[in-house]
Amino acid sequence: MANPQVELHIANFGVITLELDADKAPLSAANFLSYVNKGHYNNTVFHRVIPGFMVQGGGFEPGMNQKPSDAPIKNEANNGLKNEQYTVAMARTSDPHSATAQFFINVSNNGFLNHTAPSAQGWGYAVFGKVVSGADIVKKIEGVATGRKGFHDDVPKEDVVIEKAVAI
Amino acid sequence: MDQPHNPLFPEWHAPAHWQAVDFISDVHLQAADLATFDVWRQFLQRPAAQRADALCILGDLFEVWVGDDVLQAAGPHSLQAEEDHRFWRDCAAALRTYSQHTPVFFMHGNRDFLLGAQALSLCGMQALVDPTVLVFLGQRWLLSHGDALCLDDTDYMQFRAMVRQTAWQRDFLARPLDERETTARELRQQSQARKAHTAGDPTLWADVDGPAARTWLERSGCTTLIHGHTHRPAHHDVGGGLQRVVLSDWDLNAQPPRAEVLRLDAKGLHREPLFC
Repeated sequence: MANPQVELHIANFGVITLELDADKAPLSAANFLSYVNKGHYNNTVFHRVIPGFMVQGGGFEPGMNQKPSDAPIKNEANNGLKNEQYTVAMARTSDPHSATAQFFINVSNNGFLNHTAPSAQGWGYAVFGKVVSGADIVKKIEGVATGRKGFHDDVPKEDVVIEKAVAI
Repeated sequence: MDQPHNPLFPEWHAPAHWQAVDFISDVHLQAADLATFDVWRQFLQRPAAQRADALCILGDLFEVWVGDDVLQAAGPHSLQAEEDHRFWRDCAAALRTYSQHTPVFFMHGNRDFLLGAQALSLCGMQALVDPTVLVFLGQRWLLSHGDALCLDDTDYMQFRAMVRQTAWQRDFLARPLDERETTARELRQQSQARKAHTAGDPTLWADVDGPAARTWLERSGCTTLIHGHTHRPAHHDVGGGLQRVVLSDWDLNAQPPRAEVLRLDAKGLHREPLFC
């Protein structure tokens, strides 16, 4: 069975297509699809953009209101997938198993985010897919002007909005 | 010894069954110093027979603390920040495990005064006000980090007056985590530059003001002040039969290495060095 694909339609930028690895990251892929299918990602922003590192989104509406999310999922960072350029991974707090809706796209090879040990100290960030089309769009997002917005830093000065996310 | 309770000096009454309390301070835990972290963690993992009934940390446990969100910040973060956050979580985990069998009490120092309710909870620690009177073994012991008594360090006293205000702290903690971490780094660099002429020699830093310490002891009805901060472990007579006892700082990279716990029990106060 082919891996599921999701299109992120970014207003004024274009479409990024993600291919999810349902085999190696079943929980994360299913979790992501669940948010896609109920329209959670529609009208969210890439709220944290750090050139040379990653672009993060899926949690806030324009205006930085956080959207409610479902229960956290188990960390699947020990699945062998690496945080290489243009892979997509789950964002989370320092609690290893706290990922909910936010995700990020690596724009460099971020090996230091990889899983090193199944302990509270060694959990990394779970990669669950990759960009298969629209890497140039990701690059454009990486290059936008950013600044501080209240409690948040590295926020794009002009909103980068996911108009809709659809499973294809 | 029924002293009228002076509200400037809150009282902490030890449970009747307690026989010993351990005091440490100025451990200055940081990701860049795993040698000190290892010895500190080994101290926490000592068998029950070697443990006191409580551990009391009199400030500067952490080299720096810019906010409780270092324990919970939504990642991913830069390499340095990831390393630092992982380290703070390791520290919190070690304390939490310890606190499951032995109560831990924490007083703010000049480096970790922003440690808040959330971090206390994650570390399994209970807060102590600075200063506090410990009522234990039928005696009153005045506990403080010590920075509030270094009156000669006028620059620091001004800085302290500013950063201990609720409004200042609220504004600082509302800033993004990255910014707070950068600011803290810059302040450290400036402080080190100012201290460069003392070449890291604590005997050239401002000491606790003797008469001020004596006044605190008289007003709180205590004969002994236990404090840290100055990194000059010693026993000082402040006059009037009153004394102050200073905790050692921890630095396993120093020559000779320093790591010490002060134990208070029925036999009195004794220092125990913690490295071989």
